[in-house]
Amino acid sequence: MHYDLIVIGMGLSGLMAAKTAAEMGKKVLIIGKGLGTLSIFSNTIDLLGTIPPTMKMKDGLSQWVHDHPEHPYGKVGLEKIEEALSSFNSFFPPPYTFQSKNDANSLVPTGAGTFRLTYLIPSTMMKGINLKEKKTLIIGFEGYKDFYARRLADLLNCRGITLSLSENPQTEMTAAALARRMEKPSLRDFIGAEVKKEIRDEELIGFPAVLGVNDPMGVRKDIEKKIGASIFEIPGLPPSIPGMRIFNRFKAKLIQKGGNFLSGYSVSKAIPRKNHFEKIEVFHPPVTNSYSADHFILATGRFIGGGLLADRERIVEPLFNLPVSYIGSQEEWFGKSFFAQHSIHGYGILTDASLRPIDENGKPIFENVWVAGTILSGHHCVNEKSREGIEITTGYWTARNAMKL
Amino acid sequence: MNQKTWPKTNADVCIRCANCMAVCPVSRVTPLFPGPKHAGPGAERFRKPGDPSVDKWIDLCIGCHLCDLACSSGVPISELNLMAKAKYLDEKGRPLRDWLLTHTYLFSRMASFLSIITNFLLMNRMVKWLADHLLDIDKRRELPAYQSPTFRQWFREHPPKGERKVAYFYGCYINTNEVEVGKAMVQVLEANGFEVFLPPQECCGLPMLGNGDFKGAREMGLKNVPSLLETIRSGTEMIYSSTSCGHMIRHEYNRLLNIPGSEEVAEHLFDLFEFLKNLNEKGDLKVQFIELPIKVAYFAPCHLRSLGIGLPALEILRLIPRLEIENIEADCCGLGGTFGFKREKYEISQEIGKDLKEAIDKLKPDVVLTDCEGCRMQIRHLTGLNVLHPIQILRKALKEPAG
Amino acid sequence: MNLKTEVLIIGGGATGVGIARDLSLRGIPSLLIEKGDFLSGASGRNHGLFHSGARYVVSDPEAARECITENRILRKIVPHCIEETDGLFVSLPEDDLDFRDRFIQACQEITIPAHLLSRDETLSLEPELHPDLLSSVKVPDGAIDPFELVLGNAKDAEDHGAKFLLHTEITSLLLEGNRIKSVLAKDLVGGDEYSIETSYLINATGAWADHFLKRIGLRIGVALSKGSMLITNQRFTQRVINRCRPPSDGDIIVPNHTVSILGTTSVRSEEVEQFEITPEEITLLIKETSRMIPAIEGCRFIRAYAGIRPLFQSGEKGDDRAISRGFALIDHGKRDGIKNLITITGGKLVTYRLMAEKTSDLLCQKMGVDVSCTTHIKPLPGAEKSSGLKNRLAAIGQEETLCDCELVQKAEVEAVLKEGKLKNLQDILHRTRLAKGTCQGAFCVYRLLGVLHDLGMVKVDSNKVLKGFLEERWKGIRPVLWGSALKEEELIEGIYKGIFNL
Repeated sequence: MHYDLIVIGMGLSGLMAAKTAAEMGKKVLIIGKGLGTLSIFSNTIDLLGTIPPTMKMKDGLSQWVHDHPEHPYGKVGLEKIEEALSSFNSFFPPPYTFQSKNDANSLVPTGAGTFRLTYLIPSTMMKGINLKEKKTLIIGFEGYKDFYARRLADLLNCRGITLSLSENPQTEMTAAALARRMEKPSLRDFIGAEVKKEIRDEELIGFPAVLGVNDPMGVRKDIEKKIGASIFEIPGLPPSIPGMRIFNRFKAKLIQKGGNFLSGYSVSKAIPRKNHFEKIEVFHPPVTNSYSADHFILATGRFIGGGLLADRERIVEPLFNLPVSYIGSQEEWFGKSFFAQHSIHGYGILTDASLRPIDENGKPIFENVWVAGTILSGHHCVNEKSREGIEITTGYWTARNAMKL
Repeated sequence: MNQKTWPKTNADVCIRCANCMAVCPVSRVTPLFPGPKHAGPGAERFRKPGDPSVDKWIDLCIGCHLCDLACSSGVPISELNLMAKAKYLDEKGRPLRDWLLTHTYLFSRMASFLSIITNFLLMNRMVKWLADHLLDIDKRRELPAYQSPTFRQWFREHPPKGERKVAYFYGCYINTNEVEVGKAMVQVLEANGFEVFLPPQECCGLPMLGNGDFKGAREMGLKNVPSLLETIRSGTEMIYSSTSCGHMIRHEYNRLLNIPGSEEVAEHLFDLFEFLKNLNEKGDLKVQFIELPIKVAYFAPCHLRSLGIGLPALEILRLIPRLEIENIEADCCGLGGTFGFKREKYEISQEIGKDLKEAIDKLKPDVVLTDCEGCRMQIRHLTGLNVLHPIQILRKALKEPAG
Repeated sequence: MNLKTEVLIIGGGATGVGIARDLSLRGIPSLLIEKGDFLSGASGRNHGLFHSGARYVVSDPEAARECITENRILRKIVPHCIEETDGLFVSLPEDDLDFRDRFIQACQEITIPAHLLSRDETLSLEPELHPDLLSSVKVPDGAIDPFELVLGNAKDAEDHGAKFLLHTEITSLLLEGNRIKSVLAKDLVGGDEYSIETSYLINATGAWADHFLKRIGLRIGVALSKGSMLITNQRFTQRVINRCRPPSDGDIIVPNHTVSILGTTSVRSEEVEQFEITPEEITLLIKETSRMIPAIEGCRFIRAYAGIRPLFQSGEKGDDRAISRGFALIDHGKRDGIKNLITITGGKLVTYRLMAEKTSDLLCQKMGVDVSCTTHIKPLPGAEKSSGLKNRLAAIGQEETLCDCELVQKAEVEAVLKEGKLKNLQDILHRTRLAKGTCQGAFCVYRLLGVLHDLGMVKVDSNKVLKGFLEERWKGIRPVLWGSALKEEELIEGIYKGIFNL
């Protein structure tokens, strides 16, 4: 089977690349295992968390791009970053949208009772940015052990209660189970009634981020009506239900647009011919299927998904064998303190401005391979709070470049 | 890089990210199943060789493989679960009901021959009540009707035509319960110039495997593979229309059951729509389609997702002019083969299916299409809609050949 | 606060707590002071080997004899702390079979049951062992849980009148003539200060023995030997695996609940508190242990740690391994003229009870009291409880678990919390199996803090506690961060630095 573009990696960068190419009318195959880190980390869209909320993102980003040419943003450029974000947003028309407050970063509360700076916030979380100004009540659920209302209340200086949802208090409930039940009116009736009993003069009610997978705004609207106060979601331990919403939306739309979605399998081999890649193989024992394309985008992420592998001496990119920009060995890659910025996180695939992987002389190694997402070198997406922004913008940019040729 | 030094074992590879927990249809609807993270790689660390099995909840794993697909690290979770299930049932003992449900192939030809009586009994309230109380086969479950003549019998009377040969593994259900699907298969292939050939075949053994009966499943595989191998070696490719049979032969025969020769068979065994898609790529799909202005909703069965070939049926169906196709955004239908027939699992099965029903209701299709007979049964049971194998729509769209 | 006691024990390791229990059963109340939690020293940082003594049967038969005797006793009095796994002494092609034969004979001479097994028999018992092995010798080694052991001893001691002051550090010792009169101590968590008058003082500080004696200008010459260990994510063998050769580095693999502990090294150290495992030690451990279990090369490690062994030299020099691992009981009356001071140091975890017995006997002699030891026959309470991995597994789905990796139930943790007296997070972690599994507490400590708030038990900023925990956890993880462990850490960093922005 031959495609215009094969995207390797099922994370947000791969999904954006596939979206971009499909919308250009190209025949795309996206192939990968898992759900990227959407279902683990992504709740909001981080663009650049180093920009203070007092500065317009555009200004801060412009300065960053200027100061950090080696950073993925430095390569993509401000104009394309804005285009990419706009493209991302086109998949999320009202009522469930991703928006910023006044085109700047805002502080949202987290499930650890802290705040984090982020840029685009889904509608179900937006009201949380007012937590410090308004009287807030936090709701937890017995049996849902990844969210503790009382701890949040103690740390955030507000009130927290835990609702009991079943006769057997020992029953555990997973995030997915809770999110599913939220989409049934019976649970919402119950929550509405219980919270109404408990609420005093609070204007804001904080819930764990489980307000349904398919129709979070419908769920929220219904509960708000029943309680009579505004509610917002608070992100917590994985799995991330808000991240799954993003994944599901991309998947549904990509399939609708005729994109080929091969989910659940990793590419086992990429077959080169001189400076050109011809095809990739997927091994699902004992069968090997191969797929060929004019262009390939590598969006396999860092270590979690196996985009990069490391032993005590080396870090490698196992599929295309692209050089990884690391120095030293395992003893040097990590700081003495957990909270230090570990040098390993800055290592990745070196590319030129169009995001083609380059050799030590700065020359592109392959004609038809492009690299998107967090596997790129030159960023510290966790400390900078730039993960989703890098994924979205580089996914968009690589597909634009690859498909123009 | 020496791949040999990378972690080999599953317990080592799990990073506890809980992706699997987010997609598991069973743990989503019942707390009785602790979920793939705990049931699979989590429990592995606690299972000592020689200890008896304590995994009472392990047979609640429906075997949908969705956890495997969602795992960021490549842990074959459903495989771990299946082996634990086999051990648990080997020790606890299997009820007669499970034997009956997994050995229907022994009775199906007789049931078909006596279809009038069989179907009367299968629909009779008294019989169903007895089956419920004596065998724990839930009386709310519609039992599939048997047809006569069987597909094989029909095929015997059917004059062969076509230049190139292709072999067909039809599977038990098509043979005795949904003959139309087999007929549609044959007609579409013949319209493309293929002569269909039926190699000697038995039940693929999936129901046994799904119930942790490795021995029984292996026996079926050992019966099937020699004849399939002979067919392959004569230069004929083979197709299946049931994604469940296909998954069993293509992957489980080799990986789980170690059947000699299965690897070679797998290389020449294709999903029907994968086969048609390959033809289309080469420009060999030579059929004219009529317009079919209806709305169909397509549901990708779990085994199809696990085959890792994408959604080839969607691609082919999109060639039919004016056909409105929606891909149903839902995972597992909830039947799980024999799972949903069991009284203790029926409600879980239906609760899982509720999500699929809601997704279908939103789309309001004229017809629902899916490649798996289990899913077809379940969707009919859930919605009462007309549910077909996609090949049946394809046949409908065929322009009648001249003469 | 002024306190008075007959007997003051310094050191909350296995020996000190064992002495408290022994004395309490003899009707002699004591006060034990420890500057950390129980098991702060070597007792809490070893590989959990329940010695049969076979390991030293050729090099140090006396120590071996002590071990097998205690082995038999402990099986009766603390069976719930011991997993009776048996051990195998494996001979690889490069090992001297003469040594093996001497080994078997030496075992027989001191009545350690030793059975020679063929290659095939060995591999059928433990399929993960190297296929080239020649033979193995089966001995009654096992795995012991030091925490259960010491905590159990402490509880029984308390029930019989002993008192414990944890997180309390001695600030000065006051002599009067040729006796110790009192000590000054400070509670490191609460800030309370104590002045404790005592008639007798037992220095059971293990590796800190000289450190402690320095306060009064004494020294007995304790050598500090660092031993490092690696913990694997999965349990490779059911039995303890030893290398059948003279004791050396990296020749032991001890199963422990869901993991295997690889050990150990022997590096002379000057430091009793600041020490860590080095990359060279890690390389050595992997290299040597993977000779016995090939799958270790390339397996995932979840933690690396080290402990300091006190070795008593008694004037001789030489390689640390040549110093007897037998213990040293020093009567400072005879040696230094301080009549009411005793030091007990050296030894092994498995001989703690014997060490406690001898110390208590000496003390009784000094006190002029004639009561015999009963710890060799009185079982610890809880000895009837059955534990085991399959029991934890069976409880899945019935009870809410806090730790998914080690299947620790919320109810279990709440019971520990309600017992009270816990001063910090590590105290809680020591008393449960939280944070001992694959993710090393990344999920369960977050949940634990939530539960603590629910119970209204938190008086400090719990995010400070969480950060402190993550830093402490990092020390054990950083040295083994490669392969799968690296994926795990990317997850953890993404959660705590990313989602939670700590």
